[in-house]
Formats: sequence, structure tokens, C-alpha cells
Amino acid sequence: MNWVGLWTLTAREVGRFFSVYRQTVIPGLTSSILYILIFGFTLEKRISTIDGIPYTLFIIPGLIMMNTLTNASSNSASSMLQMKLLGQLPDLLQAPLSSFEISLAYIIGGMVRGTVNGILILLVGVGLSGMPVVDPVATIGFIMLVSWAFSSIGLLLGQLAETWDQLATMQNFFLTPLSFLGGIFYSIKMLPEWAQEASFFNPIYYMINGLRYTILGVADSEPNTSLIVAIFMTIGFTVAAILLMESGKKIKQ
Amino acid sequence: MTPAISIQNLKKSYDDTVALKGINLTIGDGEFFGLLGPNGAGKTTTINILTGLVRKNEGSAEVFGKDTVSDYRFTRSQMGISAQEFTQDWFFPLDKLLFFQAGYYGIPKNEAKEKVDELLLRLGLEEKRSSRLRQLSGGMKRRFQIAKALVHDPKILILDEPTAGVDVELRHELWQYFSELHKAGKTILLTTHYIEEAEKLCDKVAIIDKGNVIKEGTPKELTGQLGHAGITINISDTDVDLNASLTDFTFTYAEGRLHFTVQDPEEALPIIINKLTQIGCHIQRVETTKSSLEDVFLSLTGKGINE
Repeated sequence: MNWVGLWTLTAREVGRFFSVYRQTVIPGLTSSILYILIFGFTLEKRISTIDGIPYTLFIIPGLIMMNTLTNASSNSASSMLQMKLLGQLPDLLQAPLSSFEISLAYIIGGMVRGTVNGILILLVGVGLSGMPVVDPVATIGFIMLVSWAFSSIGLLLGQLAETWDQLATMQNFFLTPLSFLGGIFYSIKMLPEWAQEASFFNPIYYMINGLRYTILGVADSEPNTSLIVAIFMTIGFTVAAILLMESGKKIKQ
Repeated sequence: MTPAISIQNLKKSYDDTVALKGINLTIGDGEFFGLLGPNGAGKTTTINILTGLVRKNEGSAEVFGKDTVSDYRFTRSQMGISAQEFTQDWFFPLDKLLFFQAGYYGIPKNEAKEKVDELLLRLGLEEKRSSRLRQLSGGMKRRFQIAKALVHDPKILILDEPTAGVDVELRHELWQYFSELHKAGKTILLTTHYIEEAEKLCDKVAIIDKGNVIKEGTPKELTGQLGHAGITINISDTDVDLNASLTDFTFTYAEGRLHFTVQDPEEALPIIINKLTQIGCHIQRVETTKSSLEDVFLSLTGKGINE
């Protein structure tokens, strides 16, 4: 194992997004504050509580999760595509680094960005609404787990994509709609039966509800089911991203 | 003694295009080896197979006796690559990029510091250590590519067109530096479009064309074996189709400079001058030279290296 190489590439990945924090950290924070202020405090007058939880508090776990998974996936995806397009990837592929080490560094980079964003929005949520957190350790653990899973997805997409347009298509047409349909702003019990059943096929539904359970102690999905889905996604996409890297598809000739 | 690089029957195809048809090359430890060939001859593919960027179809590639696929950690740690294409980066200053590069090869920052400082100084980049790559001139980017290749102090330095696009002064400075590195014991594999560069620097050269090594030896051996000579004629620019008028000769033409490769210059020169005069070319200068690598290349491939 090339530990120094792994550490170096991980440090580079983390340093990369921190060096442009105005693009990678601030926007999620700003949009979440706006969501809480506009959607939360205004809609709370019409939807007072869901499952006994004030509406503003109800949406915060969903906002945290949306930012967590968007940031985690876009970090590894955009970094990988950028490396390809800027001609930096040969520096890694010609170095004594294994596919496992390269993949791990990218995934950890995305995981850190997802977690940092998630925790910052959690703190903002607590600050703005006085939201109590039922189990802080489980909350942070779950944010890290989901960040890892979506960072792996990002790495897969980054390897497969050849243009920024392709990457944006995947983000805009899959991740964002699935996040909104996963129950950020509503409980699926408020939906017609067919829509409730459709939600069960949306993995992000389990992510949002898993986090909601760790923060508020209530959720639409079974907490164990959310955890199992998150663990399966993490393992499955990590293995897939490493195998794709090892195959060299789209990155080697 | 185990050679630094050993390539046996190396084959590679991209879809319908055969890039390498079974190349054999042996580069001794400490040798300065030149790989010459026109565009698309297979030079970069050979290098990329050695370094792990391209997967071979058949054959073997070894570095100090170890296979470049199964023992990739060892073989890659022995090589430093200065690629033809510039790398870009938007985020980090030069010194940090060099620390990253050393780190990929297992060298922590505190151990790499001395080497990074030395390379930045030696390659005239010290004042730019905090600059981003986009702020550098073409020549500085080329020097940075070379610093990056050397930061982990590899035994083998691979230079893919290391002086492409640089001015004459820098080219000569780099030649001087490559000679110093060679004298210090590094094995150097050079690909170049400047035949003068290979002739000046290399102990041994291989001429590669259409995926085959067609000739290999020291520059002296190659020029001696062929016994050819060169005739260089400068003419005023012309619209005449020179290829149609000079069908009996092997030559290149660029920017008013005609270069012929001939067996006997005394016999060929009057005929060439006669033909050029007949087709209305105004001859400005005539020079005959002893056989050079350029002549060898021309007679073997039938074309100039830039064609």
C-alpha cells in the first residue's frame, strides 16, 4: 500500500475544494438558510406540524441530506472529469498508485466535502430554529456514510463522463429530482398511495428519512431499513467505482 | 547487466489502426536513447505502454528486469515522465504541485523539500514557485514538466518532445541540463522531432515508422552504414510542384530550404541545380554536408520527420 501517495492525493482533493470554498461550501449554506427562512417559516403558518414536528424543523434534515449528497457526488465527479480534461490524470496513472488507492482518495475527498457541508447546515439549522438533535453521533455517522456512498457514485460518473454537459445531465435529471422526491419538504404519508409506493424505489427517500430519524426521532421509513440501504449503497458503489477504475474504461487506452 | 528498459515484440492496435507491429528495444542502464519517428509512428504509444497509460495487446515491457504490469509499483517508481502535452491546474501553486507529484511516488513533503527547491532553482522557476501554471509562459511550462518528471529522482527519465515549442536559447540550456543528468548516471529515453537534438545528445537511436523499428544504432553507425550525404539548397519561395519535378531524388522542403539525401553529392549536385534552374527556381545558397541523422531518417522513411 502506497500510504504517502494515498494521503497526498486525499489531501489534494480536500485542499482543492477548500481552496474554492465560495463555490463548494458557501452556496449550499446560503441556499439552505433561504429554504429554512422562506419555505420553513412562511409555510409553517399553513402546515404547522408533520408527525408532531414543527414544519421548519421537519425540512432541515432533508436540506442537510440534499446538500450532503449533492456536494459529495459533485466533488469526486467534477474533480475526476477536471483531471481528465486538464491532462492531469496521467500524473496519477503513471505513478505507483493502485486503482484502489486512487479511488479511495477521490471518495474520501468527496466524503469530507459532503460531511463538512452537512454539518455546517446542521449547525445553521440548530442556530436558526433551535432544533434539538436526538442523537448527534448517529447524525454525523449517517452523514458520513451517505457522503461516502454518493462520493462513490460521483467517482463512477466522473470516470464515465467525457464532457461537463454529460455530468450536468446526470446531476440535473437524476440526483436533484430524486432528492426533491425523496421527501425533503413533505412526509410521504401526504402523497397518494401510488406515489408513496413509488417513493420506496427512490434510495434518497431512505437517506433523508434515516437522517431525519437521527435528528428528530421520527421518520417515514424504518430506521434500520434506511441504515441497510445506506450501507448497501456505500459498499456497492465503492466496489463499482474501484472496479471501473481498475478496468481503465474511459481513462486508459 | 540488466537493461534499464527491455521491450519485446510489443504490439498495440486502436480499433482498426495498428499502432505497434511488434517492437523490440533494449536500452542499457545509463544510456541516452533517442526514439525518432514521424507523427503517428508509435513513439508515444511505446512510452505510454511503458508507463501504464496504454494497455498492450501482446509482447512484454520491462524496467530493470521487472514487468511493467505485474510489478508496476517498482517499474513506475523508476521512471519520471515529461509529457509532450502540458498539464494544466487551476488550484495550486507550482511548489505545491511538485510536492503532490513527489507524494504520489511515496515521498513525504519534508523529504521532498530539498529536491523541490533544487529543481525550481536549477530550472529557473524559483521566482514562480507561488504562481499558478496558467501564469507561466510556454517555456516555463516546459521547464515545469521536466521538474515534475525529476522530483522523485527517478533512475530513468522519459522526455517526450522536451523542447517542442521552446526558443533556441532555452533549447540549448535544456540540452546542457539533459547532458548533466546523463553524466550523473540517469538513463534517458528521448523522443524528438529535432534530429539535431538526437544527434547531439543520444548514445543510441532507433528510427521507428508505422509501428516498426526500422533501424537502430549509434548516430555514427547509422550515418556510416548508409554512406549518404546531404545537399541543402536555399531557394526563393516557389509555387512550382517540386515533388513532380524532382522525382528522382529523396528530399524535404520547408520554408525555402530543400534538403536532399544522396549517395554521391558530386554527381547529384549538377543534376539538381540543372533541374531547379529549368523549373525557374532562384537558387540562393548551396551547401553539401556529410551524412547526418536527418539523411538517414529521410532515406529510411522516405519522408522528413515533420511530415
